[in-house]
Amino acid sequence: MSRIELKKLVKRFKDTAVLSGIDLDVPEGSTLVLFGPSGAGKTVLLRCIAGAVEQDGGEVLIGGEDVTDVLPEHRGIGMAFQNFALFPHMDAFDNIASPLTACGRTADQIRAGVDTVAKLLKIDHVLSHTPKALSNGQKQRTALARALVSRPKVLLLDDPLRNVDAKLRFEMRLELPRLLADQGATVIYVTQDYREAMALGDRIAVLDGGRIIQNGTPEEIYRRPATINIAKLFGDPTINLLDVVPQSDASGVYASLSDRRIQLDPGLSGTVGRECVLGLRPEALSFTDADEGVPVTIEAETPFNEKTVTLVTTLRKREILVSRPAEMPAPTSGMAHITIDPSDAVLFDRQTGVRLDPNGTSHAAEKAA
Amino acid sequence: MDHRSALERILRAIALTAIVVFFMFPIFWIVLMSLQTNETILRSPPSMSFVPTLKNYAAIISGELDSNAGTMSIHFMNNLLNSILLSVFSVALALLLGVPAAYAFARHKFRGSEDIAFTLLSFRFAPPLLVLLPLTLYFQALGLANTYLGLVWVYQLICLPLILWIVRGYFEDISPDIEHAYRIAGHGWFATFRKIALPLAGPGIAAAGLLAFIFAWNNFVFALVLASADKQPVTVGALAFVTASGIQYGQIAAAIVMSIAPTLLLALWAQRYLVEGLSLGAVKG
Amino acid sequence: MSDVLLDLQQIDKIYNETSHHPVRAVKDLNLSVTQGEIVALLGSSGCGKTSTLRMIAGFEAVSSGEILIKGRPIHKLAPARRNVAMAFEGYSLYPPLTVEENIAFALKSERLSKDEIRKKVAEIAHLLEIEDILDRYPGSISGGQQQRASLARALIRNADLHLLDEPMGQLEPQLRALLRGRLKHFIKERGLTAILVTHDQTEANALADRIAVMEGGVLQQFDSPLHLKDRPANLFTGTFIGEPPMNVFPAQAETDGDDLKLNLADGVCLTYPASAFSDDLKARLLASDAFVIGVRPHAVKITAGGHPARVYANQWLGDQTHIAARFAGQTIVSVRHDRAHHAPGETIGIDVAAHDLHIFAADSGRAFSHGGALA
Repeated sequence: MSRIELKKLVKRFKDTAVLSGIDLDVPEGSTLVLFGPSGAGKTVLLRCIAGAVEQDGGEVLIGGEDVTDVLPEHRGIGMAFQNFALFPHMDAFDNIASPLTACGRTADQIRAGVDTVAKLLKIDHVLSHTPKALSNGQKQRTALARALVSRPKVLLLDDPLRNVDAKLRFEMRLELPRLLADQGATVIYVTQDYREAMALGDRIAVLDGGRIIQNGTPEEIYRRPATINIAKLFGDPTINLLDVVPQSDASGVYASLSDRRIQLDPGLSGTVGRECVLGLRPEALSFTDADEGVPVTIEAETPFNEKTVTLVTTLRKREILVSRPAEMPAPTSGMAHITIDPSDAVLFDRQTGVRLDPNGTSHAAEKAA
Repeated sequence: MDHRSALERILRAIALTAIVVFFMFPIFWIVLMSLQTNETILRSPPSMSFVPTLKNYAAIISGELDSNAGTMSIHFMNNLLNSILLSVFSVALALLLGVPAAYAFARHKFRGSEDIAFTLLSFRFAPPLLVLLPLTLYFQALGLANTYLGLVWVYQLICLPLILWIVRGYFEDISPDIEHAYRIAGHGWFATFRKIALPLAGPGIAAAGLLAFIFAWNNFVFALVLASADKQPVTVGALAFVTASGIQYGQIAAAIVMSIAPTLLLALWAQRYLVEGLSLGAVKG
Repeated sequence: MSDVLLDLQQIDKIYNETSHHPVRAVKDLNLSVTQGEIVALLGSSGCGKTSTLRMIAGFEAVSSGEILIKGRPIHKLAPARRNVAMAFEGYSLYPPLTVEENIAFALKSERLSKDEIRKKVAEIAHLLEIEDILDRYPGSISGGQQQRASLARALIRNADLHLLDEPMGQLEPQLRALLRGRLKHFIKERGLTAILVTHDQTEANALADRIAVMEGGVLQQFDSPLHLKDRPANLFTGTFIGEPPMNVFPAQAETDGDDLKLNLADGVCLTYPASAFSDDLKARLLASDAFVIGVRPHAVKITAGGHPARVYANQWLGDQTHIAARFAGQTIVSVRHDRAHHAPGETIGIDVAAHDLHIFAADSGRAFSHGGALA
């Protein structure tokens, strides 16, 4: 009853289309992460669902019902804003209580409701403070409490962790899935942080230029990104991208790197001779003793969040980043060999940027189109 | 931050004092004049030493104006009451109409909204005398001439654009997200206007109201032409002090002090609302 | 040291000094920066880092103490006479000038030919990816572009010291990662000295040679990124530096034969051979009633025979998995570099090696030890 569906949703500002035909289906009780660079239209999309902005075309369905003509206050939605949007002239209690006062609860019911959610989010000691007197973390929790307090069946969370410090962001990232599961709500969660997206989403929809360019599980997005752009948005350090032209012989399909072969999936035989880009995730690459690995020169090594990132160059001076857990031993200078499992290599069309799927043409791209 | 030398600081203090004296001196001088008789005011050279008297105030309040030629009666207290009535009702009406209109212009951009808002402002461009002539004829035909209702209506030309344009800016400064949040929490648009927009624009509304009050209070020509003696405010009533037998400076001064007192008190009272911050830290940054 | 460029000596900053509620934003700060070094002032909002930067730039007066550049006291000079360049967090571009003119404006005093100016601007615009907006006006470009223009205007100057206040706060993550590398290279290549204010430790780690961690107006530790991670001076630095943050548990010690036992809450007891700790450390641990042990998430191992803990979150991030579990009355986080599947509700075994322990005093938070030996 709280499934969210968007059908051919269009929103224009003046003459520029911000959303051009969004189709989305979020099953009841699941969490969809809406991911994309700023200006991609994420916030506008959320506002269309909430009714704060009116769409120019298409439909928004909540629980199977078209809500286009339903006023925002009657859509039964809880929403948290990136800038918190707390009511500055009310204390935290009244802020959180505002969804309850709207539906005519008694004072006792309101107090009980606010206390429960405030305890859950550990802000019960600051309920008498005005937003001005709250820390950023407390503001964020107050905003979240306000969204949750009436136990809405649809929750829209617009980058709620963006303006809080790293430590709290991490803690909230761990706590949120349980919190959301307890609510049983259907959630759309907007973020620019790919880690947050992977951790929180049952599915991730990648939005760019007003279109959804891929909608898949975190695994699909990370391992089989539909386009080069998506591959670049997920992962830190970012994916290595190398121009290659796949070749084939009796042993299978391969790409050449420093005159050595990077074996590719045999299903990619259709790409032989085509101008492609090979994507290699830094953590999927590893150093090897074996001579059949790709010979590289080690240029520099930087520690990075318990990982060690090594910059290496191929014989033709192409730069590749290799990352490994900090405690894992590896050569630190001179020549070395690197290798990758064929299943971890992804291939994109150089012209269109679309991923080439081993089991057919560009499957993922078709789905997105 | 203080990179200034002692000399710089002293010069600054002197300059600031000079500016304050320059602006405050006329008011100070008028207060002194109101406490003197015409003779001590007009002696030459002027002197700061005199025996203060409340005779001028007594004359103004009782309505018995002493002049060289004898006593004549004036209606200053009546004028003062008129000023208060006209200004209060004009501002009240302008707030009642202007604040919702300002909200509409700030939040709903519809076709022609800018044009309407500009038209309302353009009332302030025309010289009042030009407007007055046709208006007098209409008012006489409608029976509105020389009524409080008619005057309050005309005063909207002064108050309404002022309130509309100032308050609109304050509404626009409120993050729409705050209002969206209240709507999504389940409240209708009118509750959102009343509980969110109005309180947050409060300081702006107070400032606009005060300014409108001052403008209405100081208006001269509208009342001069459209009102007869019993409806005239102090600005027009002050003309009575210019008598055939000379100008009663002491009594004029007393009248001025009494007529600036209400606006001054209002401004002092409203000040705490004016300085209150707008956003109060609701939104990050 | 002879090549000290900037020296802060016992700096105090008190706001509203004459009022009833004076606020001490910076307390007794001593810091020296050597020529050619990149130093990051790192801390959460309100820690005093921005006040410090503004005092160096001259936008705030010091309440007491001295600031020296090349041995010359400058804290009484007007900002313009300190030969310090600054990039602002908020945008501070001149609206009537184009981006190019804004950047070139900083070179006004250097008497360069038009060609030279053009060349320099083009170079820095290329570096910061703002070539295509050079002829635009500040009002018509995005926040991130304005921030890069402001950064360019500061970097192009030939100053003794470059101050960068959250220079990349408005940028997108991908662009930020790209520009970090370029920015560091640019600063190092020219031998510039820079002080960077940030709340983002990834940025501090990537750019800075040394990081000054501040909290509550007090300098907590001033050290290299590696030392901050491996040898945090106190509990604050320990839990502040590192992503995800360090796990901490209150503990008490007792000996049991050849073993040293660390008792945590909920009856959890970590047992180590006593030989894993130096004698001094053992004595100190046994002498104190309470202390805090810290262990980095990457050092928390999940093994079949470990101490039982109940999983409540398992999040795969592509290159690593974060597993959170209830342990000793608190949350313990373990990071693995592979893809682990421990469903919420499952019980796992937790193991922590003695050499991965950081031990802090419970009251002062000062570090006792890192690994098995005294700090």
